[in-house]
Amino acid sequence: MSRAAILYAPGTNCHEETVAALDRTGIASELVLLRDLLDGRARLNRFQAAIIPGGFSYGDHLGAGRIFATLLVARLGEQLGEFLAAGRPLLGVCNGFQVLGEAGILPARSLGKRGMALVENQSGRFEDRNVRLLVSRNESPWTRGLEGQILEMPSAHGEGRALFPESRLARVALRYADGFGNPTAHYPENPNGTAGAVAGITDDTGLVLGLMPHPERASLPAHGSQDGLKLFQNLARAL
Amino acid sequence: MGLSLVTRPSMSIQPVYVTFHDDAEARAWLGFLQRHGYAELRDLVLERVYWLEGKVRSERLAPLFANPIYQAISEKSALDPSRGPVIEIAYRPAVTDPETPSILAAAHALGEDGLEFARLSRRYQFSGIEASTARKLAERFLFNKVVERIREPGEILVTLRPTGRPDAVESISLAGLDAATLERLSIERSWYAPLSQLKVIQDHEVRLGRPHTDAEIEILAQTWSDHCYHTTWKSLGLLKKLQAATARIAHPLVVSAFKDNAGGLEFYDGWVITIKGETHNFPSSIAPFGGVATKHGGVIRDTLGFGKGAYPIGGTTVMGTMDPAMKEEEVPAGALHPQLILSESIRATSYYVNPMGIPMMHAVYRRHAGYAKCLALGHSLGLIPERYAAKEEPRPGDIALLIGGETGRDGIHGATASSTSMTGETLQKESAAVQIGHPITERRFATAIPALRDAGCIRSITDLGAGGISCAAGEMGAGTGVALDLDTVPLKDKSLTAWEILLSESQERMLIAVPPEKLAEAQTLLDRYEVAHAAIGRFTDSGKLEAVWRDQRVVEIEMDFLWGACPLDPIPAAAPRRQLQPLSIPEPRTAAEWSEAARRILGHYHCADQSAAGSRFDSTVQGRTVIGPYGGKNHCMPSGFYLSAPLYGKPYGVITAVAFNPFYGEIDPAEMARLMVIEAVTRAVAAGADYHDLALCDNFYTPRVRPDVAWDLTRMVEAIAELSVELGIPFISGKDSSSGTFDAGGKSIDVPPTLAVAAFGRVRDVKRIVTKDFKRAGSKLLLIGRVDGDALGGSVYADTLRQHGNALHSFGDARALRALWDALLRLHARGEVLSASAVGEGGVFLRQFEAALGSDLGARVQFEAVAALGERRRVQKSGGRRPPLQEVGAAPDAWRKDGLLFGEFIGSVIVEVGPSFDPAASLADIPYAALGEVLPEPRFELAEGNEIIWQEEMARLTETWRKPFREILE
Repeated sequence: MSRAAILYAPGTNCHEETVAALDRTGIASELVLLRDLLDGRARLNRFQAAIIPGGFSYGDHLGAGRIFATLLVARLGEQLGEFLAAGRPLLGVCNGFQVLGEAGILPARSLGKRGMALVENQSGRFEDRNVRLLVSRNESPWTRGLEGQILEMPSAHGEGRALFPESRLARVALRYADGFGNPTAHYPENPNGTAGAVAGITDDTGLVLGLMPHPERASLPAHGSQDGLKLFQNLARAL
Repeated sequence: MGLSLVTRPSMSIQPVYVTFHDDAEARAWLGFLQRHGYAELRDLVLERVYWLEGKVRSERLAPLFANPIYQAISEKSALDPSRGPVIEIAYRPAVTDPETPSILAAAHALGEDGLEFARLSRRYQFSGIEASTARKLAERFLFNKVVERIREPGEILVTLRPTGRPDAVESISLAGLDAATLERLSIERSWYAPLSQLKVIQDHEVRLGRPHTDAEIEILAQTWSDHCYHTTWKSLGLLKKLQAATARIAHPLVVSAFKDNAGGLEFYDGWVITIKGETHNFPSSIAPFGGVATKHGGVIRDTLGFGKGAYPIGGTTVMGTMDPAMKEEEVPAGALHPQLILSESIRATSYYVNPMGIPMMHAVYRRHAGYAKCLALGHSLGLIPERYAAKEEPRPGDIALLIGGETGRDGIHGATASSTSMTGETLQKESAAVQIGHPITERRFATAIPALRDAGCIRSITDLGAGGISCAAGEMGAGTGVALDLDTVPLKDKSLTAWEILLSESQERMLIAVPPEKLAEAQTLLDRYEVAHAAIGRFTDSGKLEAVWRDQRVVEIEMDFLWGACPLDPIPAAAPRRQLQPLSIPEPRTAAEWSEAARRILGHYHCADQSAAGSRFDSTVQGRTVIGPYGGKNHCMPSGFYLSAPLYGKPYGVITAVAFNPFYGEIDPAEMARLMVIEAVTRAVAAGADYHDLALCDNFYTPRVRPDVAWDLTRMVEAIAELSVELGIPFISGKDSSSGTFDAGGKSIDVPPTLAVAAFGRVRDVKRIVTKDFKRAGSKLLLIGRVDGDALGGSVYADTLRQHGNALHSFGDARALRALWDALLRLHARGEVLSASAVGEGGVFLRQFEAALGSDLGARVQFEAVAALGERRRVQKSGGRRPPLQEVGAAPDAWRKDGLLFGEFIGSVIVEVGPSFDPAASLADIPYAALGEVLPEPRFELAEGNEIIWQEEMARLTETWRKPFREILE
């Protein structure tokens, strides 16, 4: 049976709802402490997929996601390389996306060599908003069959403005959209001011997805929208 | 205190400078400062400096300090001194930077094991202003003097490590001292103890046959302070009144009331929900960022310290300040400008609560000229399995395990200083009483505590707040005894002496009683969760609080004395003489006058869009939020209540609502207190919650006690105790602060008698809860409950004309309220309620505006219908505490129209029902009126018969509503 690892570290705070969202898709998941990986009590190769949820890992010290990413690359680079080489899906949400960017996994699977940054929102503030996301044409198992759809879900972050020095490397998966479903630079529909309205990207295999908004907060019947669940259902299909 | 930089030869320290290519933070500060008196400021550049100590190849660490895509790194400062003065801000030498452990861990992971210590500083360069101006600006806005300082240029660092030598333990004899000397000593030493307590301590010394140590007197003074011991409330017997009322109600859902760190209510499926509200007024008034951040940290720890450890699932921030728009010269001497308190409090809430991963339920900002010492209240909602909802007594032999942050100099004398009244002088002298908060430390143990609890490692747990280790250990060991070894306490400030270690209010610490056979397991778990821990003592059967430090016995106090000997000074009470003026408000006559009056409401601080603050707080983290603070179409309508579904995949909900009004209290404190209870409950019931499943949390804030204050306070407490019994809704938790007086230049400024009430409870199915946004054009709108067109006293409408009046709205009586709520619940059960909201500030008008905003629809209010409701009530004479101001029998058209539109009929509810709904069949015994209807266009109309008195497009009203709060912040 396929299992997904939900990696969490001190300061991660979206791991439990991520478990709850995966439960709805039938994917078995396991919370895995980064410390247990670092100390050898757990290994990534037991899992067929991995998710790094949101939060403020290590207090966002030195930059959002940077300490987590540094530990991941410097101490677990080999495991992670094997995991990715085996073609296993990896998702980073919010702080998890920041980790993937700081680790060089997104946009180009270049561990330890950064090709993007998620910097402070244009407003200079944390922004708690509901956003609409337009799903791009992107050969990714995460978004298969959703192309052209609008997904609604909460977004809550202070550092979500994406910068790509070489934009050809980033494959856009999701864009912030306005009320008409068009990609938008307008605040607050685009809560962080990212150029091109980029909310989420994949690597060139489509297996690694990073996005700022929170699909796990739009996955349960009690939530205002259950659009986020579609991404996790796609994961279930891919496994 | 002896802070010093000790010489450590041959250790190199090198700085690394980082700048951002496009610095949003610097830009935000530039804009903020230009708007706050520094218009001549042309530019602001921000540079972060990492100071590294040890043998380290800093180029290998470059990727850690800078992402070259948006940051530049250099061994030299990039700031050109000719472009303007530079101010560098760093933590004080004795204080550890919160980032230090993260930097060390990451550097070691990168193979730079030679890095021994690291610190940060921030350099601000200001163009366009003088150096002296820059310094003043920095002191006002950019740092907290308690923990941070300006690093002077050219300062030579010998080591980065926090260093210093502690003072020796002192023996202090009070024997033979006269009253005057005792009182002088008490102030000099910041004990702020009343004479009666000092005398008890004096007598105790004689019985003991030895002088007390400094640590012992410090412990007694803080344990017996009003903040910790609630002497004012105890002396007036107030808590007992609330406890007695709750006992009398004997509510079947109450699991824990007024005995633990929070109150607990039975939920579903073997779970308990908890609530606690905590004020942090003194520190938030003198250092708002630190004060408000730690307000949240503290109340969250109360949840973590409930039973054997509950998990926090929601929070609030409730702030009362003076008018943030007031002129600088009007601010009382020694007080901070309320705009600064407001904006810093918002920044602090965002800084603390977002990383904690706790959804914001309610963010409430109110103003009153009396809040020179501000109100800073926060609530925390928790969730815990019922089997862990009760603590056990520690047993002799249990380990006292301290977890979380290190102990430092921050927050010493917080308990005693916050119990005294506040002057400009206290602000200077007791600034060390303000703590600093590091949410990452608290987040670590928030994750770990449920794991420890479920593993059976927790016999008892409590948080460290006021009074620090001494208070937590003293309370937990009150029934047994506890012996502490202070040398085992991890310190972030090496210069702390014994009493300071005991009293430090450093944040983010919890104390756990661990069964000895579980200690190893607890330690292993905490290591995995990366939570620091230290076994600092054992529980004993000595009946004493004992502590040793550096081979000296520094504390040996009998628990019976500590907890039983505090004298309570009798507090005389006398009826206050209020000087209240009746309202004198001309009624609007023309459409233009109506428009202006409505816009004043929408632009009022209390009614305007506060989402510029609210949207900075995460409201959906944890994936439990069903209805957050903002809802409706476009998510900008204030919801008025919060709904969580705490058990994933289950339909069960927790609903919360908060009522707080600073204007009512000065008119009639007891009636205000009742209205707050009713408003909080009505918000929840309007949405469809069953009031039988609700409980209450009270937070009082009153001036320093005098006979008139004691009178009002007693009546407020009696009023809500009595009302809670009549309604059958128990108070289960609360907190009081009796030091709301600010002394400025010989003049005392009192806070208005303040009570914030939170209602919370369970809901069987979240899908049945109804929001206030209109659902369909053509629906009928009903106003249900008592209406009084003359009761504008304390209203926002009156305040927009700088009047407060002399009487409040009268809600009738508890029986009428229950009948109304029962009728509402029947309508909800039949699914007749399409939308609903409780009337409050801004009256019927504001609720209709909000409901229209949240639906892109409009509303028409038929004036004569509301007037008829007023008449109907009078004919029926259904209850009422006092006659209406207007003579009985006046014609309905004699009601003030503005009173009907803007009057704050707390306890009344507006309900949207289908066009064919027959109210007479369902609401026979309840006062109601056909208020109007939902319009298909986004427009507000006020009509009388077929005549439209005033109408306005929603777009224009919305603009008026959105602007003011945003402008205050910007």
